[in-house]
Amino acid sequence: MYRPGRMLRPVHSSATFLDGNGKVAVSQTTLNAGPTPGRSAKRSIYISEGTSRWRRFVSFSIEGFLFLVTSLSLIAVFFIILFIAIDAIPFFQLEGFTEFFTSIRWYPSGSPPEFGALAIIFGSGMVTFLAAMIAVPLALLSAVSLSDILPFSVRQFAKPVIEIIAAIPSVAYGFFALVVFAPILQTSGGHLLGILVWLFGAPLALIVSFVVGDMLADRIFGDNVTQVQRTAILLLLMGIFSVGLYFLYAPISAIKISSGTNALNVSIILGIMALPTIVSVSEDALQAVGRELREGSYALGATRAETITKVVIPAARSGIIAAIILGIMRAIGETMVVWMASGNASQIPSPWYNVLEPVRTLTATIAGDMGEADHVTGSSRYHVLFAMALFLLLISFFSNLISEWAVMRSKKKWGV
Amino acid sequence: MKAHTRKILDKSFTGMGFMSVILLTLSLVIVLGPIFVRGIQAFLFFDTVEYRRMQLDLFDRGDPEEVKAELDEVWAERRFIYDTIAAFEEQVENEEIENSWEYPEKIDSLNDSLKALFGPRPDEPEPVLPRDRYGETRWDRAQQTFKLVMYKEQWDYSDPSAMGSKVLVPRIDSFRGTTVEQIFPYMEENLEKLMLPEFTFYWQFLTDKSHDIHFFGGIGAEVLGTFYLVIGTMLFAIPIGVIAAIYLAEFAKEGKIVSLLRTAISTLAGVPSIVFGLFGLAFFINTMEVSQSKSVLAGSLTLTLLVLPTIIRAAEEAILAVPKAYKEASLSLGASKLYTILKVILPAAMPGILTGIVISMGRAAGETAPIIFTAAVSVGQPLGLFETLNQPTMALPWNIYNLVTEHEAVDQIRHVQFGMVFTLVLLVVVLNFAAIVLRARISKKLRG
Repeated sequence: MYRPGRMLRPVHSSATFLDGNGKVAVSQTTLNAGPTPGRSAKRSIYISEGTSRWRRFVSFSIEGFLFLVTSLSLIAVFFIILFIAIDAIPFFQLEGFTEFFTSIRWYPSGSPPEFGALAIIFGSGMVTFLAAMIAVPLALLSAVSLSDILPFSVRQFAKPVIEIIAAIPSVAYGFFALVVFAPILQTSGGHLLGILVWLFGAPLALIVSFVVGDMLADRIFGDNVTQVQRTAILLLLMGIFSVGLYFLYAPISAIKISSGTNALNVSIILGIMALPTIVSVSEDALQAVGRELREGSYALGATRAETITKVVIPAARSGIIAAIILGIMRAIGETMVVWMASGNASQIPSPWYNVLEPVRTLTATIAGDMGEADHVTGSSRYHVLFAMALFLLLISFFSNLISEWAVMRSKKKWGV
Repeated sequence: MKAHTRKILDKSFTGMGFMSVILLTLSLVIVLGPIFVRGIQAFLFFDTVEYRRMQLDLFDRGDPEEVKAELDEVWAERRFIYDTIAAFEEQVENEEIENSWEYPEKIDSLNDSLKALFGPRPDEPEPVLPRDRYGETRWDRAQQTFKLVMYKEQWDYSDPSAMGSKVLVPRIDSFRGTTVEQIFPYMEENLEKLMLPEFTFYWQFLTDKSHDIHFFGGIGAEVLGTFYLVIGTMLFAIPIGVIAAIYLAEFAKEGKIVSLLRTAISTLAGVPSIVFGLFGLAFFINTMEVSQSKSVLAGSLTLTLLVLPTIIRAAEEAILAVPKAYKEASLSLGASKLYTILKVILPAAMPGILTGIVISMGRAAGETAPIIFTAAVSVGQPLGLFETLNQPTMALPWNIYNLVTEHEAVDQIRHVQFGMVFTLVLLVVVLNFAAIVLRARISKKLRG
């Protein structure tokens, strides 16, 4: 809405609406608007020196205020690192570094207390690694299909799905892991794993048998291979694979899971939680690769799969790396799911790769032990939790810098 | 490689892409499915006469006359069971039947299971704890408890190599040949008459306060606490976030300081949520002493840091998406920069900013880790508005955790837990849908 009274008020109040000769200055304003030489150059807009200075002061102070408010986030980051470090350093002064990083004995309430966090760090690393193993392939494939393969209508449907997966509160995931998933895993975990093997193995075997079958047919029968021969080899391979999968099912479904709250449970849920981050960031990176590259590749006769794997993904590499780092960060920093469903046993599973045993992570330890340590502020038991937080914070800080740098690099490369 | 093979590879690649998206959707359905299906049962379920009695006593709901009539009706039916048992007890005491020494224990166990199902008899003194005052209030729970009346749970350790397994032994077997034998088929036939199930829509679940740590009642205190936390967070986060976005989009000249600011914002977004909680404890409570101990205020301040990056990014993007022509037209009319921002750019960017706000409201409502040390308590009263400055509160996410892991009767209040999770998830999903719809409208507008 146009409100001349308010908009032009400074001009009115400056009392220079009339110029020195007493003429109305409307037409002169336009004249003086440009950089005319001499006296009027200084005040190209028709206001007095004082008003102009006042205005400059006002706009400067407004900008200053806005800058101050904006820098609150910088101050916050600084304070977070500072205050976590202030409470973390006493721990290292009291107990030193060696025990924290090398011992697996975590008995903070024992006498003497023992603060070996190695098993906990290992637990964090284990569930994060497993979650990444689950999330990264699935998320990258989804990102590729969202940016290059799926028709527009399906994309419109898939994006909200990803947003909702990202939005569900972590405590709801934790609840699902503990109340729904853990009992299923405990009572019929072996069968579930067997079904999962089929679910992922069967399509993979199908694809492999199609491709290998095709190549074999060409190798065996030469150039004039008939459709019947192709089909025969394909069926043979599919038979071999399904027999293999069938025999794989038996030992896997015989696995007994003694506790549903274990590293596998948590990793699967964390993997789902990390999906949206990886999908959306890497999809952005894939989108940023221009059409020219894709079209160039198609023009050279490459198929879509070849274009994506050999041109688009290499071009978007740094953005994808950033996406993976951000997804992994989400998994490391997650608290509620691991606290509720990891079993919280401070141990290195035996053997170390046994994902069916309970573990304990840094975040869950902070959340769980703070309640008991709270009222003994000042003891090692309180400070060790801050030491863990500092460790987490540093990891997240550096991974963030790396991913930022990676995104910058890809932006510079493609000029977006 | 032959063209034929390449074509197959291409097809299978496409297939894998489709499959991954299907898996993505499937994982969402698998997670949300049970939460929705069982969560709705906290609101819509078959209640029993005990439920109506409880609602009348604790919440003053329902018609006293009607409830009394119903109670008379069911106790007329139940009378037979108790009379039979009482008569049998007398026989046992007078040793009129053989092996009478083995019966008192069995009768006690039977009486306990009946008490769990029907509640105490009207002539008994009223127990202190509400949980003991009423029988099963929900029909689904009543059917489960009835199973424990019909069957006795025992642990079988006969196989020393495996863990003990639970077996159900029919109670009727231990009363063979006595008068008590007849009550079991009687109950089985007349269970509905004994409990009078009725379909009910308990929408007050959202607003009722809980009685006896969630044995009865709703989640009103938690909903209110979550509401306070979200509003408090938004009071701080919206002004700071929008101002920062205005600065970054309109004033900042790209340079060292601004890129430092941007790095700070993305670092803030990457800080693990539990670290925010520790920081809130160390800074807002222990150092700044905004409140004596945990409080809604301290929690809101902590959550503000958490949602700030989301709001800043969304608002900055929205401001940058406003067509240049708007700004130039306003400036050319003689409006000052500030006036242009307030009157032209912000209104045009408002839907985008709202999207960010709505999404971060969902995050603030659902985050647990930051409020563990700064705002949340497990047991408490609903707060008044000004108590939020220095009192801790109950909140949906924290109490979900608490009810699932630390409640003394986790299995008995599953419906409350699912109801709570359902409420929280529904809240977040609705907020996100609002954001999606808002965004769709913006992109429609931008496309013309």
